[in-house]
Amino acid sequence: MRESRLMLVQYVTAAAAVVLVAIHLLLQGVLVPYGTAISFGTVLSAYRSVISIVFLELLLVVVLVHGFNGVRIILHELRQTASWSRWVDAGTVIAIVASVGYGTRTILLAVLMGVSS
Amino acid sequence: MSTEETANNRKGVLGWINPHNHNAERWAYAFQRITGVAVLLYVLGHLGDTSFFVGGPIGTGPSESSWAFISGLVENSFGHMILVLVVLVVTFHGVNGIRLILAEFGVMFRKPRAIEYPYKPKGLNPLQRYVFVAAVAMAAIAALLAWWILFEGPL
Repeated sequence: MRESRLMLVQYVTAAAAVVLVAIHLLLQGVLVPYGTAISFGTVLSAYRSVISIVFLELLLVVVLVHGFNGVRIILHELRQTASWSRWVDAGTVIAIVASVGYGTRTILLAVLMGVSS
Repeated sequence: MSTEETANNRKGVLGWINPHNHNAERWAYAFQRITGVAVLLYVLGHLGDTSFFVGGPIGTGPSESSWAFISGLVENSFGHMILVLVVLVVTFHGVNGIRLILAEFGVMFRKPRAIEYPYKPKGLNPLQRYVFVAAVAMAAIAALLAWWILFEGPL
């Protein structure tokens, strides 16, 4: 992907992250008491709501793409050789896929599997 | 400039925190990067701790005991201190990031003018500095609110 396109991705994910992270933080202590928000029952009910699942998956993808693309930009600024650029770009894609995959696995297991004590 | 000279002039990451010749915009640049990396590290840790809701890396589904284990590990004064710091850096990064997006699209800039000694950038709108100060202030307020919720408020 062209670098200008990737910078646009960075700004779009930044704008989306501002909104999504603000909602996420407000739900952890402001709109819902903190103790209630992190209780097992509340978290489980969040994973049983379609809106909440879509929200969490969006938050996961947006924040990780923005974060790792940001690190990629920093690393490109620090050094500019062809091989370094290739390694950084490949590493960024691997990091995004691995971390989004791990987070999505948590969501899918919480949504699809039964509760154990 | 030769490659060697370029290499010598390259300040790298240490240049972010070297206070020599730093103006407000330069500090905003440094803080944006430092807070960005800090937030990413926290998010990766948060991915790890939330996975304990389903039993951790080798879990198979929602587990009350696993969630109680990780809650016991992170829900303490030290963990809450980390959360206050996270709210501080996330708020700064978000508000200052909005300033950067607006600047990228040409908002908050004046017409470029010829620079004169002492070489202060004349294209910068004072509004940019106000937003930077607002980002610091809002981060402090958000951190205080988080402190109150986690340490003083009714849990």
